[in-house]
Amino acid sequence: MLEYDILIVGAGGAGLYAALWASQNPKIKVGVMSKVYPVRSHTGAAEGGINAALANVAEDNPEKHAFDTVKGSDYLADQDAVEIMTRMAPEIIYDIEHRGVPFSRLPDGRIAQRPFGGASFPRTCYAADRTGLVILHTLYDQSLRQGVEFLNEWFLLNIIHNGERVLGVTALDIKNGEVHFIKAKAVIIATGGHARMYWNRTSNALGNTGDGTAAVLRAGLPLKDMEFVQFHPTGLRKTGILITEGARGEGGYLINKDGERFMKKYAPEKMELAPRDIVARSIEREILEGRGCGPEGDYICLDLRHLGEKKLMERLPQTVEHARVYEGVDPVKEPIPIRPTAHYSMGGIDTDKYGQTEIKGLYAAGEAACISVHGANRLGGNSLLDILVFGKIAAEHAAEYVTGVEHLPTDGSEYVKREEEFIKSLMDKEPKENLSQMRKEMGNIMASKVGIFREEGLMKEALNEIRELKERAKAGLAVVDKSKRFNLNLVQTLEFLNLLDLAEVTTLCAIERKESRGAHYRLDYPQRDDENFLKHSIVRRKEDGTLEHGWKEVVITKWQPQERKY
Amino acid sequence: MATAGKEILKGGFRMSQEKVVLKVYRYNPEVDEKPYYREYEVPTEGVQTLLDALFYIQENLDPTLSFRFFCRAAVCGSCAMKVNGISRLACKTPFKKLVERANGRPITVEPLNFLNTVKDLVVDHDKPFENLKKLQTWCEPKQPIPEKEYRVSPEEVKEYERPTNCILCFACYGSCEAVMDDPKYAGPFAFSRVYKYVLDSRVDEDHKRQMVKNAMEVGDIWSCVQCQKCIYVCPKGIRPAEDIQNVRGKAAEYGFKEYPGVKKVQHFVDWVYATGQINRLALPEEVYGVDPTPLINKFKERGAEVWEVPKPLPGLLEFRDLILEVMKEKKPHLDIDFHHVRRIDKKVEEIFKADVCTKVVEQFEEQREDFFSRFWKKISEFFGAR
Repeated sequence: MLEYDILIVGAGGAGLYAALWASQNPKIKVGVMSKVYPVRSHTGAAEGGINAALANVAEDNPEKHAFDTVKGSDYLADQDAVEIMTRMAPEIIYDIEHRGVPFSRLPDGRIAQRPFGGASFPRTCYAADRTGLVILHTLYDQSLRQGVEFLNEWFLLNIIHNGERVLGVTALDIKNGEVHFIKAKAVIIATGGHARMYWNRTSNALGNTGDGTAAVLRAGLPLKDMEFVQFHPTGLRKTGILITEGARGEGGYLINKDGERFMKKYAPEKMELAPRDIVARSIEREILEGRGCGPEGDYICLDLRHLGEKKLMERLPQTVEHARVYEGVDPVKEPIPIRPTAHYSMGGIDTDKYGQTEIKGLYAAGEAACISVHGANRLGGNSLLDILVFGKIAAEHAAEYVTGVEHLPTDGSEYVKREEEFIKSLMDKEPKENLSQMRKEMGNIMASKVGIFREEGLMKEALNEIRELKERAKAGLAVVDKSKRFNLNLVQTLEFLNLLDLAEVTTLCAIERKESRGAHYRLDYPQRDDENFLKHSIVRRKEDGTLEHGWKEVVITKWQPQERKY
Repeated sequence: MATAGKEILKGGFRMSQEKVVLKVYRYNPEVDEKPYYREYEVPTEGVQTLLDALFYIQENLDPTLSFRFFCRAAVCGSCAMKVNGISRLACKTPFKKLVERANGRPITVEPLNFLNTVKDLVVDHDKPFENLKKLQTWCEPKQPIPEKEYRVSPEEVKEYERPTNCILCFACYGSCEAVMDDPKYAGPFAFSRVYKYVLDSRVDEDHKRQMVKNAMEVGDIWSCVQCQKCIYVCPKGIRPAEDIQNVRGKAAEYGFKEYPGVKKVQHFVDWVYATGQINRLALPEEVYGVDPTPLINKFKERGAEVWEVPKPLPGLLEFRDLILEVMKEKKPHLDIDFHHVRRIDKKVEEIFKADVCTKVVEQFEEQREDFFSRFWKKISEFFGAR
């Protein structure tokens, strides 16, 4: 049986950074488990940068960074956690810089910083347009340096706890199809976000299926603020793949079917460069009101033609390539079909500011966790920061915890048996449903009814439809491939079941929050309502499988809620 | 299924371009005795990339097909595989182009070379990842570590920009001639990684030397034959073959003279300077310490004319000046060993009964200009590549 002091689930930025700090103490046995190889994780797709008040370019300090973050969160972030994050930001940047992250530089050799949406100063450190990639790869190289042990291509099945302490996890070794119990005194869940519930309407990787978040829900523990999903204004129509904000920054136009630059109606001053949520809502409104482009009127055009081929190739090579490869459109000659794409999960596993859950030894960090530092809306450049800061804090806290406790006696065989039976039941089932069809249905329900614009009636429909999907999956979604080795069909089925659970929670929370705040926009309640809803929503699954919804106070230290204006 | 695929071809498939046949490598080592190919018909419309085509198969035709993917946007490096014999990222390969090029023939999809098959298109990535660990490709920070950031010039960052783009997809590994012949060879990507850290001023000097040493001892960097396939297949535009040349240069610069590769370079530098060309007869002795006399004798016994040193070329002196000039300008990693050159000169004198510095030069005075212009070009190209 595999046994660790600390088992980290997920090997993206949060997981790897946690591993580096946890394994500082050689007496602590640390393992990192991931369903992919480490450098595959979605941290690598982050382009823009990472925020820290280094004041390399302009006067700045952590308090201003904290205020911008709180304001950006529409006052739903916990201010004590935000202050921890922004205070630690500079030391975290220096630490990863010392470990080898190749940041872009100022002429005098210091780290370069650029302005980003919602920030009052140029605060975003970056490495060209691949900041996440270099951070992920540098952390991986460092984990090799520290001899971190990896379990590659292992899929998390369930978190095992006794109601007080965590005992470990059950997991599927994808390469050979075996199920294992992994014993651990502490488990850090760093499995990333779950925006794949919007299926092909997301910028997320195909594997961002919230496996850890769903496992926490199954373990009877609370999820927080699950209604908040950030939509990025410009995703490619067919795939949701992101077209960077830089495309508008360089002067791109958003055009409806009448050839009109419609942003003049919604943000006459800032036009295409208004904040993300406003642009996303404007695009969606154009489409809903019948001014979308194409035979089905289901997209808007991002026109870059006037920039000319030379500038496009120089400044936006990746955008040009993405449009050509994934949309079959040449932006030099044609406008790019785009529509908003689900981008980031603000909600997640409910933790305190140390990443702790209700169960001793069970932690969460990164996009999987909701601490909460992003509240109702995350600022660009804060997610890479969040994963590192709270990856480190969770690791240090866990390291301290595990030195004081012993493993609980269990051989785990009962848990393994339960999982094996479950997988067998999936394979023995008579196949009546088609996985890819059901995934599309889920994506369509979520995008059309729990998307950018929300309204009670539609969301209630969505909740019923998601529940029907769950029933149908239970009755007739079978794993057709019976082989043990690298059974993609099995993994995708498990991922889909996770997404369905989380989609149900998201929809329920969105119905319960009868106000508009940050990324959560209700047509029937268009105003923010601090009196009733300046609260975190909390959902847990009871033993009978039903969901229990409640509220939790927001921590306010310095900044009283004001209207969010830019 | 295989025959069904052929029938499609016969049945006028070539005329309509609505569907194309993908011939996909299938192998589950647990149940299959040996690998086989299975053919699938995929529509040519509505499929953007090769990865989409594989999804089409998996979702509509055969859910038992296994392959890797994650980001579907060419940053995670999961989906490298062989398409019509060439390593590519499935998610970055436009399907339309494949179909056009296939021109009615099936498109063959296979796993990357030189890695064990887990199942179908999925290969074991453990080995190349292990290679990074063996080469110790990481930043060991230079002491003292500053309180804030290290100062690094934008120019320096630009220097290692290219290898920094590597996503470890191992397309280069699966195309590498050196890996084919030398299983110990770490792979092009690994040396690009070494080079990236060697260029980084924040990395401890001893650790840089260690990485270069590892590249030679553990990674067999001298096995690279510079076929340049890694450059051709890299989906991120990285040029590992050049990075390999540069790491080799670093080995010379660091004075790792005891390694055959470095000795070989020393041989090239000294002999070319001394005589204008390399000396194949002396190479085994100077590089591996193998006495060439038996070989030379054998040639002589059979009546062959053997020159133990190459006959110095015309205009040698000016040529030497040019080499010195170039070396001064380009600061190559290895200096000419003048003791060695003197020994070579002596041999030349003995054998040709001529003083290299005078007679040989005079004999060919009239051909000089053409000769030099050609050599100058070659030499500057060679050093320019560094």
